[in-house]
Amino acid sequence: MNCDDVRPELLDYQRGRLPADVEARVRAHLEGCAACARTEAAERTLTELLEQRLPQHAAPLALKRRLAAEWPDALASPTPSWWQRWGRPLMPAMAVAAVLLTVLPLYYQQRGARALSAGLVTEAVNDHLRILSSQHPLDVETGDFHRVKPWFEGRLDFAPRVSFLGDADFPLRGGAVGYFLDRKAAVFVFNRRLHAVSLFVFRADGLPWPARELTPLGNARAYTASTRGFNAVLWRSGELGYALVSDVDAAELAQLAAKVAGGA
Amino acid sequence: MVPGRPARYYGDGMGRHDERETAAALGRDALAYADTLYSLARYLTGNPADAEDLVQETYVHALRAAGQFMPGTNLKAWLFRILRNTFISLYRHQRLNPTVGGLDTVDPVAQGPALEHLLLDDVEMDRLRKIVGDEIEQALMTLSEEARTVILLDLEGLTEVEVAEVVGCAVGTVKSRLARARAALRLKLKDYAR
Repeated sequence: MNCDDVRPELLDYQRGRLPADVEARVRAHLEGCAACARTEAAERTLTELLEQRLPQHAAPLALKRRLAAEWPDALASPTPSWWQRWGRPLMPAMAVAAVLLTVLPLYYQQRGARALSAGLVTEAVNDHLRILSSQHPLDVETGDFHRVKPWFEGRLDFAPRVSFLGDADFPLRGGAVGYFLDRKAAVFVFNRRLHAVSLFVFRADGLPWPARELTPLGNARAYTASTRGFNAVLWRSGELGYALVSDVDAAELAQLAAKVAGGA
Repeated sequence: MVPGRPARYYGDGMGRHDERETAAALGRDALAYADTLYSLARYLTGNPADAEDLVQETYVHALRAAGQFMPGTNLKAWLFRILRNTFISLYRHQRLNPTVGGLDTVDPVAQGPALEHLLLDDVEMDRLRKIVGDEIEQALMTLSEEARTVILLDLEGLTEVEVAEVVGCAVGTVKSRLARARAALRLKLKDYAR
């Protein structure tokens, strides 16, 4: 593939929508072509900017109430004579409207919470991608956990509590100081066959942690999600938050999450 | 099909009670997208009052067309299509859109050299990351309505096929239109990143 073939495929490539063979060819081209690699990075940055910063305008509450009230009424409006003929009172429609008015705030609250949780997942995936695309992803590159952990001392304003040392299934590759949203994070990178798995450890306070759809994980409760072809597991333990991200499958990531959370 | 008696969603054999239950369920599903639709409406119309009217009108149209919605397909994409069509019929003639002409009217040759400058170096990439939300919004609003629409629909997670259905063009056209729209936005953002 040459540059002209690769450029139009970049967005689909980033979203994991290409057939495996085309994806492999695009990846091979990007590895050898600095110009296309830069364009790819610029596209990624633009997506990040739009996803994280573009203001989302919420519909005014009055509009939502109007819509909720109008839906059942409007359903009947194309056949007004039907109402007259049968003389059916408007009460059932009003009852539906009342139910909607009761249910909707809960619905929106849940939806809002989900959007915030999705924000955490998006951030985790972006941070993982930043590590992968960085020229020097790891500040300290060694499989020796006892060299990685002390390295963080003095570089963070908290002590990252992780005691999983890496094993044959998930060997440790190294560590780095990164960012998670507005705060510093300790980043541990593990390998799973040829895939990288990033573990972010950061202060948990002030983040919109999901309260629903949690599954037990050691002593904690974890939120599992996938976006853009990446799987993520997020949980908090005491004052610290943990985010595990990779393109390995969800079951394998859950395996590592259990190891990390079990020892943490 | 009798108007007001949508066949596909409610089923002809259903009783009145079931019909209303199902209608209420569709209503709830559709109303859950009020924020998403309103946000898109804001970016299409550029102001809150027109956005409110557009969303309200969209729901009226959606209700009338409820029978054409196929369960199991993407309800959000279906609502977006109604919103976009409603926008075009309501506003396009009034030229509320500040940008005259669509993306497709831009001379591709004139855009060529400019796009080459988009090979950002690391310093420029860092600057880009510092751009705030309002600036991104401003930059987006300088693009044509078609360009804004494809960027936002793509951002909402619609596939190219779904975007093509919303804007009523070929899938290949979506691909090139999206690529050009994003390139134009990157070019605009470069101004803000200085």
